[in-house]
Amino acid sequence: MKDPRDIILRPVITEKSMALMEENKYTFIVDPRANKTEIKKAVEALFKVKVEKVNTMRVKGKTKRVRNIVGKEPDYKKAIVKLKKGDRIELFEGV
Amino acid sequence: MKAHAERIEKNTVLLEVEVDADQFARAVDRAYRKLVKKVNIPGFRPGRAPRFILERHIGKQALLEEAVEMLVPEAYYQAVKDTGIEPVAQPQLELVQVEEGKPVIFKARVVVKPEVELGQYTGIEVTRPRVEVTPEDVERELKKLQERYARLISLDEGAVQKGDYVTIDYEGKVDGEPFEGGQGTDFTIEVGAAGLLPGIEDQLVGMAVGETKEVTTRFPDDYPRPELAGKEAVFTVTVKAIKRKELAPLDDEFAKDVSEFDTLEELKADIENKLKQAAEAKAKAEIRQAVLKQVTDNARVDIPEEMIAGRLEEMVQGFERRLMLQGLTLEGYLQYNDLTLEQLKERLRPDAEETLKSMLVLDAIAKAEGIAATEEEIEAEIKRMADDMRQDPAVVRKAVESQGQLESVTKLVTREKVLQFLVERAKIVDQEVSS
Repeated sequence: MKDPRDIILRPVITEKSMALMEENKYTFIVDPRANKTEIKKAVEALFKVKVEKVNTMRVKGKTKRVRNIVGKEPDYKKAIVKLKKGDRIELFEGV
Repeated sequence: MKAHAERIEKNTVLLEVEVDADQFARAVDRAYRKLVKKVNIPGFRPGRAPRFILERHIGKQALLEEAVEMLVPEAYYQAVKDTGIEPVAQPQLELVQVEEGKPVIFKARVVVKPEVELGQYTGIEVTRPRVEVTPEDVERELKKLQERYARLISLDEGAVQKGDYVTIDYEGKVDGEPFEGGQGTDFTIEVGAAGLLPGIEDQLVGMAVGETKEVTTRFPDDYPRPELAGKEAVFTVTVKAIKRKELAPLDDEFAKDVSEFDTLEELKADIENKLKQAAEAKAKAEIRQAVLKQVTDNARVDIPEEMIAGRLEEMVQGFERRLMLQGLTLEGYLQYNDLTLEQLKERLRPDAEETLKSMLVLDAIAKAEGIAATEEEIEAEIKRMADDMRQDPAVVRKAVESQGQLESVTKLVTREKVLQFLVERAKIVDQEVSS
């Protein structure tokens, strides 16, 4: 298996993700090639917690435009991981 | 909070203040709430980031510093109150310990109000200036009135005399060339009032209406326009009209015209009365000044340099405001008089020291004698200020309170009271009648 650190790239720290933490859901940017099972295992290995459910989504990068030149931010995959009740991840060392 | 004051120099106190940890924690919390609204953190709308995110973003130290900045002034004022010292300048602060979860400790070096060694202050001997209004004084006032109500009569013939108002056209030349500002038409001057260049007015005397004459004069050497100073000038002057002042005769008719009185006698009596009142007010003011001066001189105070500097700053600002009313700037004034700001301050310094000393002495006497302003007296003073400014006393009071000026008003009233106290207890000797 791949190193879990190559699957879980970094946490998403926004107002929205903070709100989700109330429901014991943690949000990460993950490797776009990873599937839910891999993500689940990676989180469990990395944070020593039990994962109940994983939701993933592919986020399209925004198009940015400098004068007439159109550019695009990279796409990425975002995973919202629901932990078993009582488990917590102490966020977020090394953002 | 704990505060400890220790006198380290004559007029300097070292304050050691310890603020409890939980009070500090509250301050940190307040600092967080203030900063979080200002700092822009990606992913969060302003004011929405949780504390640990903010700390990560701006650094814990920055948050603590902000908290200290909020906490220390409050703690300092509290400490000043608790220890009862009277600072006269901004303190020099030194932070000793700032750590989360621990009490904050800081030291403040502060210059305090100096001790006043009072000398004799009751039974001060002063001389009351003689209040005397002579018939000549009254005559002089009447003359002034007469002048003020004089009528101007146009003369069609006759010659210019001193004291006449003449309307002239003039054209001036220097070295045969007209110069700027040297021409004028229908210009009215009072002959003999020295409103023009020296010598011109004298040469107008004797001229008749319609007459044209060339007069020569010299610009004074210190004339503000250097290109003209000291130069010979020839003015061609045409007299267009002569007006002469006609004084109304001093009689009951005159009294009726210029005052509410019916007879000249009544008017005279009134003038005498007013002169007497003015003289008495002046004498009173002089007595107060003299008493204050002596009491101040009898006392000994070492005024801290910081106090003098502060007072000088105030004086310069006041001076600047007065200049501004005349449409001048401080810079302009300094340049015109060839002074630096420091030199100006040096000149004001004795005055500043004297004023400060007087104030300190009056405060010390107030303390020694237990003189304090009552609420009614403060109220009355505020009402007086309000009348001066043509404002509602309630409005003024609010303004005074909101600007934290209530204390200085109280001080003002107290000092006034002390001064009255001193004057009441002074030995006032009437001035000998001089022959």
